[in-house]
Amino acid sequence: MSTKTKTSRRTFFAASASATLGFTIVPSSVIASPAPSDRLNFGHIGIGGRGRRFLRPLAGLDQKIVPWENLGGQGDRFLRPALSTALCDVDSSRLDLAATAVGGRPRLYKDFRRLLEQKDLDAVVIASPDHWHALMTIMACQAGKDVYVEKPASKTVEEGRAMVTAAERYGRVVQVGSQGRSQDPAYHANKYISNGQIGTVRKVLCWHYENPAGDWTPDAEPPQGLNFENWIGPARRISYNEKRTHGRFRWMLDFGGGQIRDRGAHVMSVANWIMKADYKGPVSVEATGEPHHDGMYDSPQHMTVTYEFKDPDWTLVWAQPGVPSEELEARYGAVYWGDSRRLTVTYGDRHTTDTEQKAKDYKIPHGGAEVFRSPGHGENFEDCIKSREKPIMHIESAHRVATLCILGNISYRLRRKLEWDWVNERVRNDEEANRMLSRPSRGPWHL
Amino acid sequence: MTNTDKTSLLARSAAAAAVLAMAAKGRAAEKEDKFLADIKSDDADVRFAAWDIAGEMDPEVIPALSKLLAADKPGVRKAAAEALNNIVHSVGKEVNPAGLRANAGRPDALKQLDKRQQVVAKLLEVLAGKHDHAEKVGALRHLSLIATTDDVPAIAKFVHDPKLREEAVFSLERIPGKTSEEALLNSLPDAAEDFKSRILAALGHRRAEEAISACLDAMKSPDTTIAMAGMKASARIGIKTGGQTKLPDYDSLSEWQKIEYTDSLLRYADAQAGQGNPEDAAAIYQAALQRDEGHWQCAAIIGLAKIGTAQAAAAIFPKLRSDDNTVRITAQKAWGAMSEQPGG
Repeated sequence: MSTKTKTSRRTFFAASASATLGFTIVPSSVIASPAPSDRLNFGHIGIGGRGRRFLRPLAGLDQKIVPWENLGGQGDRFLRPALSTALCDVDSSRLDLAATAVGGRPRLYKDFRRLLEQKDLDAVVIASPDHWHALMTIMACQAGKDVYVEKPASKTVEEGRAMVTAAERYGRVVQVGSQGRSQDPAYHANKYISNGQIGTVRKVLCWHYENPAGDWTPDAEPPQGLNFENWIGPARRISYNEKRTHGRFRWMLDFGGGQIRDRGAHVMSVANWIMKADYKGPVSVEATGEPHHDGMYDSPQHMTVTYEFKDPDWTLVWAQPGVPSEELEARYGAVYWGDSRRLTVTYGDRHTTDTEQKAKDYKIPHGGAEVFRSPGHGENFEDCIKSREKPIMHIESAHRVATLCILGNISYRLRRKLEWDWVNERVRNDEEANRMLSRPSRGPWHL
Repeated sequence: MTNTDKTSLLARSAAAAAVLAMAAKGRAAEKEDKFLADIKSDDADVRFAAWDIAGEMDPEVIPALSKLLAADKPGVRKAAAEALNNIVHSVGKEVNPAGLRANAGRPDALKQLDKRQQVVAKLLEVLAGKHDHAEKVGALRHLSLIATTDDVPAIAKFVHDPKLREEAVFSLERIPGKTSEEALLNSLPDAAEDFKSRILAALGHRRAEEAISACLDAMKSPDTTIAMAGMKASARIGIKTGGQTKLPDYDSLSEWQKIEYTDSLLRYADAQAGQGNPEDAAAIYQAALQRDEGHWQCAAIIGLAKIGTAQAAAAIFPKLRSDDNTVRITAQKAWGAMSEQPGG
């Protein structure tokens, strides 16, 4: 620790401002011009199937590489210089695979806190299981890292709000991996609808196929190389089962929450973006559904969640299976119903995201409503690391979308309609529902 | 009618009532038996039909249902777990007695609260009885959703049970009211050393103001895990501590604990700013501004900008020319925001 730092610490409580100065607009000449570094150093926490997609290999430094197609963006373009210099996973096999993929000598960790302590990292990419997203993001902000975290942002409403607070406290850029907003077809749909081409939108109807049931694979000892205690982390204790770990945790309500929190965090992210609901929420949430009668997973087989928004009044429906679009064929997506026409946006996550030709052909007239066009979800994040602007799926937006997903599951669980006070983020007149908005963390892990 | 006739009539009426009561009890028992048999059925659809209507069942069924959480057949375990969920959720809307009073005119609220108490009583019976660990864990998790201050003592007993302490704290942490906070606080002195930080974290999460002295005491511990747990909890509670607060020894902390140390100071400063103690907050922000670490400077700039005084502006001003891109832009934005404030 430097002498300067030591002295500063001692005076932490004692210091007081002595200078006085009325503030005014500072001339641009006073503000020095930026001197950004050309290369970004990334740390990665969680490098399984999803996390490996974000690795920036040594080989890419001296040659242009095309980003993962699912991250959206316009046409052919290349990634800016960046390198994955630190990797972390609780599973050694995944760590080894990622290290080989990156090349060179990345630093390897099994405890993400050791990675976050590294001072030379500009940002971290978090692709851990959902129940870790909030804590890892908050702790990354505390360590001064900008964050790209996979969706859904959080597992509880309290977690999501804590993520927003942490990002604001430290002035960090936090981009959440609902990359549908960076898909060009979603941009075309947004510009089309925002310029009134289907009239006033009163309902958005999503459709998606069912959740799986799972079999009855017995619990077992965790495989060698997997630190299962750290995999569980803050969540409730469960026994190891290969069908509940890694990508399959998603089908347990206590962990992944089913498709509504997986794909819902994509499809409804695009809906919230188009409907300008990034800083708002519904006034009521009502879910119905039916679970699988057998099998280890407890997320519902069928599910319909109706969200009512006010000022402006519109309805969002998440339905599994729901009614697919008549215009475009896809396994999931949303139909936006205006009072004069309708428009489909399919998927909302992958490169096959699409919209109708009329929206793609539409040109914004002079004086029309402009819509931000993302250069790609990763590039937008990297741009914001430099500019310090909010990325297209910043944490407040993502928290609002995650809240939709979480409330849908709570209403399904409780079998009753929730009256949602979106300003105070509380359920009206339902004590049990309010207790479910937060979840005490296990062991040493706390928000 | 003679007295003998009257006595005879009364006796016959009483006997008839007893027969009716027995019949009702018999029907209830029959219904319960059928329900449990259906939960144990080999047919998944029959099991589902049973767990689907579990919310209508008498809470008496809870102990027997809990036993099935340890059944050999996984499908039966699932049905039992879902049935218990549905019973608990059917009574969870009106948990708080204050809610009952507010809705006293609603007969359904009264009825539901009455049933909630019965459900809680049965869950506590599982917790205290000779039941498997998994059943007790399930009971504590369900109690976290519907128990009230009245039930806290029965739950708090398990904070000292090595196998159930984590679940007991989880449950108490979720039950609103001072009683659960006091139970957590009272459990702290006798708690195992390796569990004290967990209880402190629960108190911090609850923003339990009564716990501030215990947190400050914990900060004096030579065990840095406990000292930091005390510091983190007191920062989350956020009330002004004043006087000579003894902070954990910075140099003895691990690298990660040092990060948490500064985070705690900044949280405390944010809390002071929010509670109308800008001088206390500004002192911490100004010191953070002198640190090498850019993100601590950023947090200080953001905090100072919210305070918005001339002194705060003076502190931010040099950072408008910082060599650190992030610090410089943060300062520029803060400066712009302050300029837009009234009197800026």
